[in-house]
Amino acid sequence: MSADFLLEIGTEELPSSFVRHALRSMEASAAELVRQARLATDELQIQAMGTPRRLTLRIHGLAEQQPDRDETVSGPPWAAAFEADGTPKKAATGFAKKHGVAVDALVKTATDKGDYVSVQVHEAGQATHEVLAELLPQLCQRISFPKSMRWGPGEIAFGRPIHWIVSLLGSDVVEFSFANVTAGRTTRGHRFLAPAEFELAQASGYEATLEAARVIVDIEARKARMMNALHSAAKELGGVLEPDAFLADECVSLVEEPFVVPGGFDEAFLALPDEVVISVMRDHQRYFAVRESEGGALLPAYLNVVNTAEDPATIAKGNDRVLRARLADARFFVEEDLKAPLSDRLPKLDSVVFQSKLGTMGAKVRRLESNANAIAERVGADAGASQAAARICKADLETLIVYEFPELQGEMGRWYALREGVEPAVADAIRDHYRPQGADDGVPDGLVSAVVAVADRIDTLVGCFGIGLVPSGSADPFALRRAALGIIRIALEGPIDIDLGALISGAHQSYAGDAKLKPAPDVQASLDEFFRGRIRAMLKDQHGGDVVDACLGAWDGTSIRDLRTRIEAVAALRSAPEFEALAIAFKRAFNITKESGRGAVDPSLLEDGAERELAERFSTVRDQIREATNARRYGDALKLVAQELGAPIDRFFEEVFVMVDDARIRDNRLRLLGEIADTVNGIAHFHQLGTKLQSRDPSVST
Amino acid sequence: MTFQELILALERFWSEHGCLIVQPYNSEVGAGTFNPHTFLRAIGPEPWNVAYVEPSRRPTDGRYGENPNRLQQFHQYQVILKPSPLDIQELYLESLRALGTDPSRHDIRFIEDDWESPTLGAWGLGWQVWLDGLEISQFTYFQQCGGIDCKPISGELTYGLERIAMYLQDVDDVYELEWAPGIRYGDLYKRAEWEWSTYNFEQADVDLQKRLFEEYETQVAALLGLSEQKGKGGALQFDRAPLERLVLPAYDAVIKCSHYFNVLDARGAISVTERQRYIGRVRVLARAAAESWYAQREALGFPLLDTAAAAQ
Repeated sequence: MSADFLLEIGTEELPSSFVRHALRSMEASAAELVRQARLATDELQIQAMGTPRRLTLRIHGLAEQQPDRDETVSGPPWAAAFEADGTPKKAATGFAKKHGVAVDALVKTATDKGDYVSVQVHEAGQATHEVLAELLPQLCQRISFPKSMRWGPGEIAFGRPIHWIVSLLGSDVVEFSFANVTAGRTTRGHRFLAPAEFELAQASGYEATLEAARVIVDIEARKARMMNALHSAAKELGGVLEPDAFLADECVSLVEEPFVVPGGFDEAFLALPDEVVISVMRDHQRYFAVRESEGGALLPAYLNVVNTAEDPATIAKGNDRVLRARLADARFFVEEDLKAPLSDRLPKLDSVVFQSKLGTMGAKVRRLESNANAIAERVGADAGASQAAARICKADLETLIVYEFPELQGEMGRWYALREGVEPAVADAIRDHYRPQGADDGVPDGLVSAVVAVADRIDTLVGCFGIGLVPSGSADPFALRRAALGIIRIALEGPIDIDLGALISGAHQSYAGDAKLKPAPDVQASLDEFFRGRIRAMLKDQHGGDVVDACLGAWDGTSIRDLRTRIEAVAALRSAPEFEALAIAFKRAFNITKESGRGAVDPSLLEDGAERELAERFSTVRDQIREATNARRYGDALKLVAQELGAPIDRFFEEVFVMVDDARIRDNRLRLLGEIADTVNGIAHFHQLGTKLQSRDPSVST
Repeated sequence: MTFQELILALERFWSEHGCLIVQPYNSEVGAGTFNPHTFLRAIGPEPWNVAYVEPSRRPTDGRYGENPNRLQQFHQYQVILKPSPLDIQELYLESLRALGTDPSRHDIRFIEDDWESPTLGAWGLGWQVWLDGLEISQFTYFQQCGGIDCKPISGELTYGLERIAMYLQDVDDVYELEWAPGIRYGDLYKRAEWEWSTYNFEQADVDLQKRLFEEYETQVAALLGLSEQKGKGGALQFDRAPLERLVLPAYDAVIKCSHYFNVLDARGAISVTERQRYIGRVRVLARAAAESWYAQREALGFPLLDTAAAAQ
């Protein structure tokens, strides 16, 4: 029977993000330390749980006693330890003494390097509580926090000051001290509802005992209770809870026992956009919103998760007052904003810095206008609307409401624009040009939105690369990787294709007069490489890194969708049975002709049989393959290659020796293979594709 | 409870809990932290327990007396407990009881709020304290002050007096607060808010503020003997011995610089990049004053250590 162990560290209120962070590190360190100390049994279970005021670790299945350990320790070379007649030298007596054994106990062990002295050391296992007493201070020290602080004398750093430590193995205290606090069995309940200190008799039954002292220690149990209370309070208000996972995690870490106090506000505030009302409640006050029905209208009410609810009426009254002032502020901002059309803010963007070397937001917006226009022309979107959307897309940054609630950028611009009667496609672009905001966010649906989204991102990318602000390692302060990924995703998932080369050069040109960038070819080259890297990172898991590389090799850096078509065609071929042989043959063709010249094949020099057959077959399908390639029908092109050239080229390599002594014949063969390799390379670089079998040609690298 | 009764209740409470009751600083400060009773005393090993009201100026927060919650000058009640005692949270909650607020009847929460003053080169970790959803206090464990690691750590409690008074008096408009029987907050400060807002946003002479900033900046360097040369790792160098430096007048000039910067900022006279540079300049001055203070106290043998030992 093994005893349960309980550690509880009582602290001042830990920030909500600290609790989970600390618990994770506590659990991991405990697992490692217990194993190292040979205390783990098959039943070992480690569980960390906590509240803002306590970090708790429960270990079940500890060994009752640390097992003994027998170990062979090797010492000095035998010859250095003993005379030839077996008399021990100093090295032998010293070694024996160090390990607490008689010299007789030393044995000779043969090794590769000769004979050595060794000894069997027996270490008796300690009692579990003794091992724990040594290990617990280390465990406490290893608990990590996003930020640590010092307090009082300032000697110890921890997430927040420590007030008590409970450390119980079964019903016995495991004695240790940390941060000038001596561990014992005294804990505390809820700060306000059960403030008295009390003793825990034993480790087991901890959660139930704490629950009686108004503390739900387990986060998930606390959260379940909180969510229940929220849902039923919403129901009582005649509505449904507006779900908010982030807020739920935050709130559950701010209380030891959750209560829900509903409150309300004047219905007149519902004239504000829902997003504003929700932001005020959520970001400033951590209240949940309530809707009439799922996706329905907001109710003039909120739900507040609190730590105590002895007097809900007083609590609601205070919160109502705070919310009223906040909503009144927001309404004031919106009313002020509505006094002038959005476009009146444009001049103000001239005094907002975009980036110190790249000039102002005003200048950026003017570049966006010309780029959006050019992109729209290329993809067949409404160029006038795109330019208008580009012009207005940042104007809401200068509104009072966005200054106060930065997370409402775009959303409020759209709302104001629609009220002004701006065309919906343009208004939507104010909001949607920020999309995708992350991996979980979708790309813009509308053409105009997609155009502005691309223009905005390429302007940032070209500007930053143009002044040498290139992401390195984990440092990417301008989120350039995300910007590039956004462009790629818009091309692949969104409504418009993107010509990357034209996009970059257009954006570079538009910087003329605004900022001094590196020359266009340099920026083009470094961004081309950057985009290829992002594309590879994005698609390699789905299609295989070598397929993506093979297609990137043949791709001209223009249409992103063209690249995808190639990748899909090659990926499809790759799963066909003839792939292996084809890939090996074209790799050989490529490698053998890498250094050789090109030119027309002289039919009179062709040898009958495999060589002539290949040349003739190739000359009949060559134009079809090129035509299909040029028309971006890569699937058709590859089908022709496989069907028409597969067998002949295999036979050619079986039967024909290329590097014959006769230079005329050899060069003619190389020209034939070279032309075939070039034609196939126009689709994808087959030599970059991985194959299961190595080609016989040793120069082929995979 | 009138506004002045609120102040008196806090004065009494903290006086009874071992704090020196001192007076506001007689120069423009943005917060009680700027007062040398906090900023300088938080540095070094000497114990220090102090409490005072601090009228605090935030030029950019001015609303011409038209917003019921925002002021360009408001009142903080500032408490410094150094080293921070382990029962500092209990003391704080006890002080709320002294104001007639029973914490167990309300929802009181400690919400993470780390504090940093880029101009003072100071930062700390702690909370905002919420009373039924209203932020009524800031609670900070100072970690660094003037770029110097704090040891021991000071606990700083800052009460927002207007907010607490509005709560206690159940009014929604700061100007409706009763300061003393028959005298409202608005009687004292409404016109002042309009004048200062107009001054800060519209009429403050930009060239004058810039010139004053620079002259006081020069003054700090002169009073401390701050060398233009930096030592290894950017260490500040001084041409004067610690006891020859005029630390208090120099720190006073740092406060002036900070204030003129705030006015320039409210006046919209500083661009974003200039803003960073100004902040950096004040930070260097604050650091020079902080290091000089430490050196001076050290040269004096940290006198309050003996006083504390004798008291025990």
